[in-house]
Amino acid sequence: MDTIIRFDEVSKSYDGGRPALDRVDLEIGSGEAVAIMGPSGSGKSTLLNLIAGLDRPTSGGVTVAGVRVDQAGETGAALFRRNRVGMIFQFFNLLDDLTVADNVALPAQLGGMRRAEARIRADELLRMLGLASHRDAYPARLSGGERQRVAIARALVNRPALLLADEPTGALDTSTGDEIGALLAGLHRSGLTLVLVTHNPELARRYASRTIELVDGRVADPSTRDLQQVVG
Amino acid sequence: MSGAAILHAVRGGIFRRRLQTGVVAFVVLISTASTVVALALVVNSEAPFDHAFAAQRGAHIVATFAPNVAAARLARTARVTGVTAASGPYGEVRVTGTSEGMHFEPQTLVGRATAAGPVDDLVIQDGHWATQPGQVVLATGDSGSGLGFSLGSTLIIGAGSHRQTLTVVGLANSITGSASGWVVPAEIPLLQAAGGTSASQMLYRFADAGIGAPLQADVARLKAALPRDALAGTMSYYTAKVEQDGNIAPFVPFLLAFGILGIVMSVLIVANVVSGAVVSGYRRIGILKSIGFTPMQVTAAYAAQIALPALLGCLIGVVAGNALATPLLRQNATAYGVGGLAVPIWVDIVVPVGICALAAVAALLPALRASRLSSVQAIAIGRAPQAGRGHAAHRLLGPLPLPRPLTIGLAAPFARPSRTFLTLAAVLLGAMAVTFAVGLSSSLKRLLDGISHQRAEPVRIQLPGDGFDGGPQRIKVGPKHSKAPASNPVGLQVPTARAEREILAAVHAEPATRHVVAEADDSVSVAGMSDQTQVTAFRGAATWTGYDLVSGHWYSGPDEVLVPTGFLKQTGRSVGDTISLAEGREALRVRIVGEIFDTHNRGLNLVTSWATLRTLDPGIVPDQFDVGLRPGSSAAAYVNAISRRLGPDYDVELNSRGPAVVDAMIGLIGTLAALLAAVAALGVLNTVVLNTRERVHDIGIFKAVGMTPRQTTAMAISWVAGIGLLAGIVAVPLGVALHHEILPAMAGSVGLRLPAKYLAVYDTTMLLVLAIAGVLIAVAGALAPAVWAARINTATALRTE
Repeated sequence: MDTIIRFDEVSKSYDGGRPALDRVDLEIGSGEAVAIMGPSGSGKSTLLNLIAGLDRPTSGGVTVAGVRVDQAGETGAALFRRNRVGMIFQFFNLLDDLTVADNVALPAQLGGMRRAEARIRADELLRMLGLASHRDAYPARLSGGERQRVAIARALVNRPALLLADEPTGALDTSTGDEIGALLAGLHRSGLTLVLVTHNPELARRYASRTIELVDGRVADPSTRDLQQVVG
Repeated sequence: MSGAAILHAVRGGIFRRRLQTGVVAFVVLISTASTVVALALVVNSEAPFDHAFAAQRGAHIVATFAPNVAAARLARTARVTGVTAASGPYGEVRVTGTSEGMHFEPQTLVGRATAAGPVDDLVIQDGHWATQPGQVVLATGDSGSGLGFSLGSTLIIGAGSHRQTLTVVGLANSITGSASGWVVPAEIPLLQAAGGTSASQMLYRFADAGIGAPLQADVARLKAALPRDALAGTMSYYTAKVEQDGNIAPFVPFLLAFGILGIVMSVLIVANVVSGAVVSGYRRIGILKSIGFTPMQVTAAYAAQIALPALLGCLIGVVAGNALATPLLRQNATAYGVGGLAVPIWVDIVVPVGICALAAVAALLPALRASRLSSVQAIAIGRAPQAGRGHAAHRLLGPLPLPRPLTIGLAAPFARPSRTFLTLAAVLLGAMAVTFAVGLSSSLKRLLDGISHQRAEPVRIQLPGDGFDGGPQRIKVGPKHSKAPASNPVGLQVPTARAEREILAAVHAEPATRHVVAEADDSVSVAGMSDQTQVTAFRGAATWTGYDLVSGHWYSGPDEVLVPTGFLKQTGRSVGDTISLAEGREALRVRIVGEIFDTHNRGLNLVTSWATLRTLDPGIVPDQFDVGLRPGSSAAAYVNAISRRLGPDYDVELNSRGPAVVDAMIGLIGTLAALLAAVAALGVLNTVVLNTRERVHDIGIFKAVGMTPRQTTAMAISWVAGIGLLAGIVAVPLGVALHHEILPAMAGSVGLRLPAKYLAVYDTTMLLVLAIAGVLIAVAGALAPAVWAARINTATALRTE
């Protein structure tokens, strides 16, 4: 299995305080579904942000899909995210001024795709996710589950190799969360590498083949456990 | 809840939101400074002569006495009934001579030990007062009483053993124009020995100095106190007042226009900035309320949070405004012909108080509104614009064939209509000021050409003996020939045909010559006018000589004349009427076929053909030759070339630029327009800063899905670029309309009408460029905060609520 994500002695501190991540080494293979778990403040979201190039480590190297993300400038990081990564957030992070279809098409249009073409691609994804009837609606009118599906569609519009999800079901009720979880699992089975940040062990058990535990900014167990083996 | 908690909230609001605090302080500073400048200029254009006359203790009467009147007797006239102050007696001498090889007409020099005095307090504007013989301080301004030379120039008076050389060491203003220059008292007998005509000067102020009977009575009392024929002549302050009021009048309309624009813009921008700062803090207000702040405490906290930086901005703004106004006022003082102008104290008090009051109201209104909302409502309104606003704009602009960041940015202003409107208004006024200023400057340059004719006839070759009339400097030429005035007992000398042939041969030999025409100047009587009137006649085609027509057409045959507007006003005539001219025994009726723009000889100079003037003066000979050059030719090089051809006996010089007051206006216009454009750009800066703060989370989302820094900058700039474009398009016709309104008012204030070409200065290309002025102002104001928006840390932005 090829390595798609590698952290080499990565540390991240904010304002010189206690490090959010402390000399983290890890590897994630292409096609894996990995859950990053840990208590609140353990550095889970920080780790995800570093993978996505949303932030830079204080020290160490972060390599994602062959790109040294930690060394990319702002423009390079933005292009990296646009072309290689799809991101899903706990509170969806949709733009309230744009319709559902415009939200989904946005990353494609930022990449220079023509509006008509981007809309076709957006419509395709919205149909796939059962949101075709909401294409002209505004996010404020949608339920939590619908908004998260819009966010997933947006994350997929540029056909990324890697899907990063930060607490994707954290703002949803249980059944809706299950729907989203199943959706993500389905996407993983279609070939996407999935990195999932969650504090929900059940979610991790169901949709991830491996868990990386963080405690106080460090990987809790260097030889990460294989959940399938544990669960049996 | 104690006052300490409120203080803590205020301190937190100020120091945690340093950017916003800084923007409020800076915008208030600039608005205060520009309002101080605008108001100072406007106020100082209101009767500056009267103010300066009082400040400089101007002389109501400048009296010249025969040299044989004893000084003690003259000094006693200070006690004549009605005299409130007197200065002198000073030695006075009337001299003529040369400077830089050029003869100057007789000038009055007075011996004074100091510039200060109980009457006619002189204001030194450059250099220093004379401290020893051999030095002279000249009067400033082109009021006609000064020589107009610069520091370091030398004046040579007399010849041989009595020759005196005076070096110009200072330039000073006498509000009454009491002399052309001043020397130390010891210099006076030396100048008399050099051939100057001596007299004594006294300066008086009276209790009742009203023009007409009261002043005449004052003078009569002086005469009565002295021997017969002691009083050689008097000059009243009224002469100087009329002249300087004429200098000042054209400034007033455009200063008023700029002043009003500047004040309105300052009000708009302060209101926009301050109210925006409070509105952007609604979320914080909601949080303060949720932890126990009462509505009154919240209002007080936010009012204080704005008041402190606003107060600081006002105080520094007053200082900055004075610093900026001082050189402008000094320039205006020279142009107005007064000693000095200053920012009135009341302006320094009223402006900051007014701006602070405005800031307070602009802060209180939204703060009061927020304090009445529930905590939840205040937090919900927070930074986010009302839901639903701007959706239609996004739907409309989204399909445009523009990069996505631009279509998103162009639609954004519709989410905050009030802020957008205020920003639009500020940019519109700024662009309008720029449009107005560009047109006004272009018009004034054409007007300057119309006065000086420098562009049409940059070179003049004049026969010696003709004097200055307050217009362009004249140059003497011809092998020592002179045409003496009629009163000259020496008699008339005419230039030889050889001299004329030599001049024309030299001119035609130069490839740069395009036109040449002989010009004669004469004095004629006009029926119905008490004084003689100057006439200029051309021998040959002369439509190129730079006289711009206001109405009618150029003369095409004999017995036709062109007249300036002043002549028509004074005589009550119109184009098409006939007038009677006479010189000696000759008389002629001529028809007025055209009205020209001309200010020489107080706007009474007639222009006609050689044949017409020859009817009145059969012995007419040229006084000068006017030369027009081919485009691209160097006038200075041409003068040198002609001088080499004609030799040292001939003087050939450049036509001078014209009255300095017009240059002063052009400079002032540029400064004021730049100031207003800067104020408008500040308003835009504030808008983009507020937008960035409100949308920081959205910016994080944009960056998270792949918007590059350059795209983010473009989006932020396009938040206001559309506003700038709209403002520019609307501002252009408004600025043109303002120009068409103000320029004729300026001319009308001095009794002039303008040729159409002075107003028709906006061509299509210029209008298109000016329409972009709004965009440029908007981009200039948006650039810094847009770049900052692009640099926001994405992860931090996503965490912002």
